[in-house]
Amino acid sequence: MDKLTVLLGQSGLANLGIGQLTMIIIGLVLLYLAINKRFEPLLLLPIGFGAILVNIPGAGMYAEPIYAADGHLEAAGGLLYYVYSIGIESGVFPLLIFMGVGAMTDFGPMLANPKTLFLGAAAQFGIFGTIIGAVWMSSMGWMDFSLADAAAIGIIGGADGPTSIFVASQLAPDLLGAIAVAAYSYMALVPLIQPPIMRALTTKAERKITMTQLRVVSKREKIIFPLMVLVLVAMFLPSAAPLLGMFCFGNLMKESGVVERLSDTAQNALMNIVTIFLGLAVGSKLSADAFLNVETLGILVLGLAAFCVGTATGVLMAKLMNLMSKTPINPLIGSAGVSAVPMAARVSNKVGLENNNQNFLLMHAMGPNVAGVIGSAVAAGVLLSYLG
Amino acid sequence: MSELLTEGFSLLIMGMGTVFVFLTVLVIGTTLMSRIINRFFGQPEPEPRGKRRLAATEDLSELAAVAAAVKAVHGH
Repeated sequence: MDKLTVLLGQSGLANLGIGQLTMIIIGLVLLYLAINKRFEPLLLLPIGFGAILVNIPGAGMYAEPIYAADGHLEAAGGLLYYVYSIGIESGVFPLLIFMGVGAMTDFGPMLANPKTLFLGAAAQFGIFGTIIGAVWMSSMGWMDFSLADAAAIGIIGGADGPTSIFVASQLAPDLLGAIAVAAYSYMALVPLIQPPIMRALTTKAERKITMTQLRVVSKREKIIFPLMVLVLVAMFLPSAAPLLGMFCFGNLMKESGVVERLSDTAQNALMNIVTIFLGLAVGSKLSADAFLNVETLGILVLGLAAFCVGTATGVLMAKLMNLMSKTPINPLIGSAGVSAVPMAARVSNKVGLENNNQNFLLMHAMGPNVAGVIGSAVAAGVLLSYLG
Repeated sequence: MSELLTEGFSLLIMGMGTVFVFLTVLVIGTTLMSRIINRFFGQPEPEPRGKRRLAATEDLSELAAVAAAVKAVHGH
């Protein structure tokens, strides 16, 4: 009978706290969003499941290993602890994902029209505007964000999952779970968030603008471009070198055409493996004491603001460029500057087609879209060197 | 204005400044690179599609030739 009491005393039900129960329910909500609503399922499904695993009382999925005084291992740590410290605390997983993204990226549309890089720069205002919002909230006494916390929240506006996780893991590891969930949820919501802002800031005539066809870009240009980015980063902004370096490496593997096997692995097998563990590790940061507080609410609000501001400044920049440029620029492609590849470019295309069913903006929007990836990586570099 | 807010604004100005300067340098660099390449190597022609499939059939035909040779020697 005593044994039974012990067993019952160790059961999940007996030890389940209200916080853990709430977090398990949040994990289930994330699973629901991934499975039923198809919200970034590749990330939200592992994140949701990781959140459930880490909150099972007594399972010790996130337990730290215990070493005896003489250094031998007394009790091994939990799986999620190892995955998190190897992959995210070190910054390795986001960088490997960035390599895969580089191997999937075609810079052709951007090389054909390099001016679109400015759109990718303008949309990063969302990041820095949100930082102001976050520090304003803390100076009003509503939240307790340090400048590093604010920077990690602002990077949600980069609309780039790996960049957000990389910056948050370096600057505000406590907020990582909430930041990653906000970043991926809003990325899934880009088709709902962006169009109203795009319509509000443009006239019907502007939305109907057709753009001149893009020139063909040679193989040589595509091979030299990642090398040029790498050299410029090395010279001017070494703090962005980890992100952009891996990105350029992936892209060079793709464009060089001589290592198709490696490029294929980087963008498929390796990317999938890393995604599984990245999701689980992010989910493991969704523990009750880190997530159930007013700061999380602030992060969700600020993250949404970051997406909206970035979209707006991208569109406004495109309007400005349309006024100054010789060749017409449809302001709708500006919103794609927030990155969120390729969703944001598809949204530009869709809103364009609503107004002129012969106007295909997809390729034109891919330019600012990949420029946004470079822009947010540069912004991340600035934040890391300023606060790191 | 609190110190935190002041720091936030200086981060805003510095950050956006850096992003714009860096991407401007990149625009200039990209434009120059494209001009130089197109001047020395001529305008690009559209990339041939299905290059990879061609290579694959080449490999296969080679394999078939080897198989046929092996059969010719050992087949009887």
